[in-house]
Amino acid sequence: MALLEVEDLRVSFGETRAVDGVDFQVDEGQVVGLVGESGCGKSVTSLAIMGLLPRRAASVAGAARYDGVDLFSLPRGEMRRLRGPDLAMVFQDPLSSLNPVVQIGRQITEVLERHRGMRGEAARKEAVHLLDRVGIPDPARRLGEYPHQLSGGMRQRVLIAISVACAPRLLIADEPTTALDVTIQAQILELLKDLVDSEGTALLMITHDLGVVAGLCDEVNVLYSGRVVESAPARDLFARPTHPYTVGLLNSIPRLDLPIHEPLRPIRGSIADVIGWNDGCAFAPRCDRVAEECVAGEPPLIGAAHMHRCVRAEEVA
Amino acid sequence: MTPAKIEKLERLVEAGAQARTAESGSLWRQSFRRLRRSPMAIAGGAIVGVFVLVAVLGPWIAPYDPTAQRWGDEVFLNRNVFPGPRAENWFGLDHLGRDMFSRMIVGARQTLLVGVVATLIGFAAGAAVGGTAAAAGTFGGRWGQRIEAVIMRAVDVALSIPMLLLALSVAALLGPSLTTVMIAVGVAQIPIFARLLRGSMLAQAHSDYVLAAISLGVPKGRIVISHIFPNSLGPVIVQATLVLATAIIEAAALSYLGLGNPDPGNPEWGTMLADAQRFLSGAPQLAIYPAVGIIVTALGFTLLGEAMRESLDPRLRRQG
Amino acid sequence: MSIGTEPGPIGATTDLLSVEDLVVHFPIRRGLVVERTVGHVRAVDGVSLGIAAGRTYGLVGESGCGKTTFGRAVLRLEEPTGGRVRLDGTEVTGLRSDRLRRFRSRMQMVFQDPLGSLNPRHNVDMLLAEPLKVHGVGSRSEQRRLAIETLDAVGLPSSVLERYPHEFSGGQRQRLGIARALMLRPDLVICDEPVSALDVSIQAQVMNLLEQLQGEFNLTYLVIAHDLAVVRHMSDRVGVMYLGNLVEEADSEAIYDDPRHPYTKALLSAVPQPDPEAEADRERIILKGDLPSPADPPSGCRFRTRCPWAADICAEEVPVWREVGDGHRVACHFDL
Repeated sequence: MALLEVEDLRVSFGETRAVDGVDFQVDEGQVVGLVGESGCGKSVTSLAIMGLLPRRAASVAGAARYDGVDLFSLPRGEMRRLRGPDLAMVFQDPLSSLNPVVQIGRQITEVLERHRGMRGEAARKEAVHLLDRVGIPDPARRLGEYPHQLSGGMRQRVLIAISVACAPRLLIADEPTTALDVTIQAQILELLKDLVDSEGTALLMITHDLGVVAGLCDEVNVLYSGRVVESAPARDLFARPTHPYTVGLLNSIPRLDLPIHEPLRPIRGSIADVIGWNDGCAFAPRCDRVAEECVAGEPPLIGAAHMHRCVRAEEVA
Repeated sequence: MTPAKIEKLERLVEAGAQARTAESGSLWRQSFRRLRRSPMAIAGGAIVGVFVLVAVLGPWIAPYDPTAQRWGDEVFLNRNVFPGPRAENWFGLDHLGRDMFSRMIVGARQTLLVGVVATLIGFAAGAAVGGTAAAAGTFGGRWGQRIEAVIMRAVDVALSIPMLLLALSVAALLGPSLTTVMIAVGVAQIPIFARLLRGSMLAQAHSDYVLAAISLGVPKGRIVISHIFPNSLGPVIVQATLVLATAIIEAAALSYLGLGNPDPGNPEWGTMLADAQRFLSGAPQLAIYPAVGIIVTALGFTLLGEAMRESLDPRLRRQG
Repeated sequence: MSIGTEPGPIGATTDLLSVEDLVVHFPIRRGLVVERTVGHVRAVDGVSLGIAAGRTYGLVGESGCGKTTFGRAVLRLEEPTGGRVRLDGTEVTGLRSDRLRRFRSRMQMVFQDPLGSLNPRHNVDMLLAEPLKVHGVGSRSEQRRLAIETLDAVGLPSSVLERYPHEFSGGQRQRLGIARALMLRPDLVICDEPVSALDVSIQAQVMNLLEQLQGEFNLTYLVIAHDLAVVRHMSDRVGVMYLGNLVEEADSEAIYDDPRHPYTKALLSAVPQPDPEAEADRERIILKGDLPSPADPPSGCRFRTRCPWAADICAEEVPVWREVGDGHRVACHFDL
């Protein structure tokens, strides 16, 4: 059984449908990527799973089963108990995710007290161990520092330390390296990889960066306009991208491993241009291969291990 | 593909290529559109609207001459007899036998005038002071920064003087009159406006579009006038609306202290309140009418100001 | 972006832009009443480079390396503390107020944040006409014609003239920013992170557009970015900056195929590629720690605190430039 199984997830804010029927699953110890551009619904998906969407503004439908239990039907208290020991989340902006007026050490021991019942010196020792684990030099001294005294990379490490304090079975990382420099990003990705390998933590990686996905993920789900448009094992996806959107994304990024000055072939238009388009395939207005059947109705997600949502995939390939 | 769908697709792509249509128009127009949807703005706007209407049309809609002591023989001060509301005088009579309802209606004009003029004085002078300081500090080099520092320290000193004390000194200097009240209340607002505009302008001065303007070779004066200043006005306009409310209350307070219009012929809510205090035990209604009038009007302006603050909020503006 | 002319000789006197030993220090002031200077942030600390006409120079580095400050100092948007900037024979660093203002028509900038760099209360017509107005170019109708022509060049229809910045998508806003920079038909355009605020699919559109405009308008670019792949794609020549210094400079191809400075090597190895096979067996150089403070840079080689190859000499001596190939120079004590 999958550790996390998201089925037909739909989230809307009033009239706006942010997530429009997303299915995917994460197995124990697996790294799964949700990749897409801004507005594709990837962050909303993760917040919905964690139960962190504002209840009044967002209406959530569908199911997210963690260990067979539907998270959406859990009472709030139960959900809160799951956050930490089972589900943990790392956000893009480490500064706003940390309490600015509380010392680093206190923020970690708080979690240890609440979820692992540790007190006093034991908690302190564990906090030092955790900071050391995420590669923070001189951890004992750092305990007394405040978030603003740390660099962006260090803050992200602290945040990861807090997230893994309870050895969660699933870690959701929402663009954890986007705000960081590339050499710092490499450090953090290395750390995440190491956590997955040594602790067996499953990781749901949310990112816009196909490079990050390629280096880290086992399974990849490409999101466009609130739907999964392609889903496949990472190697398969990059070797044989099938959906025109995935192909377009790959053709849009300049690459260091291709001959220099290779021309880029961008996707035309932008997602903002086609708000209000709801006939058939959401990508149709920007697609080079668009044909009559594309607007006949919404294409289903087809395929077994390598799934895609394009009715013309065979003809084009 | 059916022709209709092809057409729709083309149209969407076309519309997209041109621009997004969802929220169109200038920022002012957009803010106004948001304002119209806010219940707070509607309530505040309704109150202010009625108040302004009454103030403008006062003399024509008042049933009687507010200064005529028509029913003077029905009021007995020594026995505390003040006829209350009745068919011909909806709000009853005041201590000289004048129609309270007419006095309230005609008094609205003076009250509004005091508020508006005082706020305008504060706004104009404050904007001049704050704008000069910000412009000098941003583009005036080392000397400009010194000028800014001197101006702003002076403003800080002015801010630390209690507003009522400041207003009282002005009033004492010029002698009691309605003009005195307006100037006094207005002068007291200058430092607030100056600070606010300067802060707002400095924030804009560090924005990328100002840097872009400099890199295009736009002269400094033009950058201040056409880029920084218009983008700094939002919070100041909100403040002006809120100040209108306090100015009306301040003016009433000054009138109550006897610094207002000494001419009893021309009714004004603050002066009416001051007059009523002598009969507070016997005829509290004489104080209640102007007091409620002042409170409701101030509330109206405050609601409108708060709603404007929300609709002009830059965080909302960034959306889309 | 090698449209047009063949590459000229490197560092030749034909350079359109030449920067010599540019220094920008920001004083750190303390004290409430009496301000005193307690130190300097050495944002840019002696950078020299040249760009040939019609070519693209890519300046790459991580945040805090001083690349943005360098770009602004070249345009005199930030006052240089020392050094010289020459554009087409005119010494920009020597120009005084009004002459500098008029000279700005020849050098322009494209900003990172397309929305923030456009005045929210000006519509497109006002945005594009302003540079012409302040430089006294053309009548009102000619200004409008130029605006429409430039809009067309960046791929926007003339119907957008009455619209306001917030009504556009990110990519369209960046097109507007580019159009505005081109209104005065400049020689040099400095693009500071021109695509980093945009979505992946839009980045490619904007890069292609910049490339196309370079040929069309005879532009020389200085592209400043943190993304190595973007810089490689756009540039003919690349300089790598670290903590206020240039550490390596070469033709685009040479620097990516044969990086010689340890920092360049680490940067290149850190960029994840969209290719799981290659990612799996890629050798990564993971750098230790964070960027040191530019107010108190390390002695000798500034990179030594994070360098895997650092030795004693690195703390004692500032490395001097070494030629390691045709126009390929590096500031490192070792031949790696």
